[in-house]
Amino acid sequence: MSELFFNAFVFPGLLYVLIWTVGLFWFFRKFMAALHKRVGPSFNGKAGSYQTLFDLSKLLTKESITPDGVNPYLFSIMPLLAVIVAMLPSAFIPWMDSFVVIKSDYGLLALVVLIGIEPFLLFLTGFGSHNKYSFLGGIRILTQAISMETAFVLAALSPAILFSTLNLSAIVEQSSWFSFLVLFPGFILYFIALLGLLEQPPFNIPDAEQEIVFGFYTEYSGTNYFLLQVAMFAEFMAVFAGAVTLFLGAYKGIFFDSYLFFFLKMLSIALVMMTIRAATPRITLSQMLNFSWKYMVPLALLNIAWIFFAKSLWFMGA
Amino acid sequence: MERDGVLVMEHLKELISRFSCAYVEDYKKIWIKAKLNSKDDLLDVAKALQTEGLRSLSTVSPTDFAEDGIMEINYFFEDLDTKRNLWLKVDLPRDEAVCEIESLTPLFASANWHEREAYSMFGVRFLHHPDLRDIIKSEDFRDKYPFRVDFDWDAHEKETVANVQQIVDAFKKEQSENEVDLESDSSETILNWGPTHPASGPIRLRVHCDGEEIISIDPDIGYVWRALEHLVTKKDFIGAIVAVERLCFMDNINSMVGYAMAVEEIAGVTITPFASWMRVLLGETARISSHFMGMGVFFNNMGLHTLAMWNMDTREFFLDFLESYSGARIATAAIEPGGVRYGLDMRMFDELQKALDKFDANIDEVEAIFVKNPTMRMRAAEVGRLSADEIHMFGLSGIVARASGVKTDIRIDEPYAAYDKLDLEYITQERGSARDRFVMIFEELKSSVAIIKKAKQHIEEAVANGEMNPTKDHMVKVPKKLPKGEAISRVEWARGEVLMHLVTQEKAKSPYRLKMRAPSFNHTMMLDYLLRGQTLSDIPLIFGSLYVCQGDLDR
Repeated sequence: MSELFFNAFVFPGLLYVLIWTVGLFWFFRKFMAALHKRVGPSFNGKAGSYQTLFDLSKLLTKESITPDGVNPYLFSIMPLLAVIVAMLPSAFIPWMDSFVVIKSDYGLLALVVLIGIEPFLLFLTGFGSHNKYSFLGGIRILTQAISMETAFVLAALSPAILFSTLNLSAIVEQSSWFSFLVLFPGFILYFIALLGLLEQPPFNIPDAEQEIVFGFYTEYSGTNYFLLQVAMFAEFMAVFAGAVTLFLGAYKGIFFDSYLFFFLKMLSIALVMMTIRAATPRITLSQMLNFSWKYMVPLALLNIAWIFFAKSLWFMGA
Repeated sequence: MERDGVLVMEHLKELISRFSCAYVEDYKKIWIKAKLNSKDDLLDVAKALQTEGLRSLSTVSPTDFAEDGIMEINYFFEDLDTKRNLWLKVDLPRDEAVCEIESLTPLFASANWHEREAYSMFGVRFLHHPDLRDIIKSEDFRDKYPFRVDFDWDAHEKETVANVQQIVDAFKKEQSENEVDLESDSSETILNWGPTHPASGPIRLRVHCDGEEIISIDPDIGYVWRALEHLVTKKDFIGAIVAVERLCFMDNINSMVGYAMAVEEIAGVTITPFASWMRVLLGETARISSHFMGMGVFFNNMGLHTLAMWNMDTREFFLDFLESYSGARIATAAIEPGGVRYGLDMRMFDELQKALDKFDANIDEVEAIFVKNPTMRMRAAEVGRLSADEIHMFGLSGIVARASGVKTDIRIDEPYAAYDKLDLEYITQERGSARDRFVMIFEELKSSVAIIKKAKQHIEEAVANGEMNPTKDHMVKVPKKLPKGEAISRVEWARGEVLMHLVTQEKAKSPYRLKMRAPSFNHTMMLDYLLRGQTLSDIPLIFGSLYVCQGDLDR
């Protein structure tokens, strides 16, 4: 019982997600500032490290406005659901050697499904906001989720096919430098689809502030907005952790295996994502659809073919 | 070439003389000034001019002569190709009931908003105008004409609470009626894009859209209307520069240059060579500061803030130079009728040199990462395209015109300050898309830096030779009272052509009428034309590429 409590509220549950949110938020801002030739937060704490803690706690104390004409239950339950659903995948991730909260033979399936549900919840936040911009944002996130998740799932399947298992721990155990090379095209596809799923440039179409204000976020404030932000960062974590587990060998390190390597791998994915964010303008919805169905999905299918080929060549004995 | 120019001008003069005119005379080198006897001839004249090639109508500017009971309308026709221009006047009775004239909008699309403005501010009714609604002024001025000289501002402003209520009521009424006419089961809606939208600035676009697709756009402007054209008439000729420079904060120097030139023309004053070179130097610095913002905004509107930040970094150094010269970074008030306001301490050029070095160190990086950005090309290379014909038709100017390959640049066409001593060439792009306009800003940025370098070198050499005295030569005296007269002046502003029409009365201490024709007015008019059938994603992109500043849009 106490172990379950620890898992739910400390690691890899609530506290872990909150620390990750505060830390990564600060890191994003500092890193972005450097790319922008700015300083970034610098007043509170060393190099402004308390800044996001203060920002997020400020959001908790601010008034949470519920607009006229919305269903208040739908409006306020969605952010909460979004956080919970975004946090769930971490229960299936093998964070350390033989540390998985829910040991399952179908971990990959759970991961993909839980990541896939998230955009629908966000669509409902937009749908329930009674605001034209929020609604447009909701429609956009649904469009994007449907197009990007196809490629995402196909890319995420490639290690499962290669190692003939849906068990995430087993995938990590069997992974090697060689399997990393074989899975590399799949990793690239996963990463691009990840940008689309997380609404990161050039696919930050659903919350494009210059076009539709803030998309589905527009009407949210105070605690509800705080929850949506935590949900976003928890979603970052889930998707990054998925990439690290499926393609980069999770906790496996150079000389010793440790959670540290897991964390560093997640951070390097975040770094690449931020660098793209600082150098690429947004594309339009139709360009995204074009890109997804004309290039991403066919390439993901080709990748599956390549995995079958590689498997029959080198991995049949295993 | 000179010979031909004169011939062509004679031809134009002859054409005007066929109609019954009070006078037809030469004005400046490339202008003809004429006054029609009867307003009935206006349409025929306009048709003849259009056939002749004067396809752009720069602006329509009424002047209210209350004592004579006359409303004089000034039309400024331009030919961007051969650089022949016509200043046409016609008198109307001032009485509101009969103050009406044929609209030129059916012939000159560029007249549309200018006639609406004249209607809103002076109550001149334009017959057969397709869309004669109020523009710029707020709802509390409905059926009032604030720029008429007998308008009682004090009485109007006493009713502040009632006025605000009137604005609120009108807005609520509009919101409740917005979607009444739309079918209830369609996906059509009316979006308010602005005035508190992240990318809009103080302007509101009523976007009638079907899902993501735009059906039409109706811009609602006037959120930063300060009635500058009225404000200058309450100030003396020096004090007026404060209103004039607030046309737009980003390039304030060149608007002051335009105003100062008009005053100098009426006063009959010629400025010193030093002052004219300083006007070039300061003007280009302001242009650079504006272009940096414009490039940044273009990318901001596609969700990428890096370029704006980088540009801010370099722009600060140019503002440092303006600060060292005038004491202010933005609102410099550095140009006065008679020259430039301050003498120059040659050490100030060290600041300028720092800025130029910073620029040279960074510009290649900007070009490689942003100007050649493939994603930007994918987004912007095909949208918002304007052909050369459309540029003429809608009276567009500045980078927007040059991006479509139209060779127009007032620094070359009608040189002012010391631009005639610089060997300038037209910089143009061919395709007229949103991307071309962005590249145009970038190219012009580089050419502005080259001009600054030349001007700086010239001033330094002339000071070293003793030809210029930087602490004494900056001003010539302009009398406080000006004679009766009128003048127009044009400058190439960062966003395009600014035309100032200044009218003074006998022994004037302040302007009687100052019309400021600002380019963003025409460019904003294009939004509906360019965006019909496009998607919501293109609004910020095209809006950013048109390089609109709300300051000079509303004035």
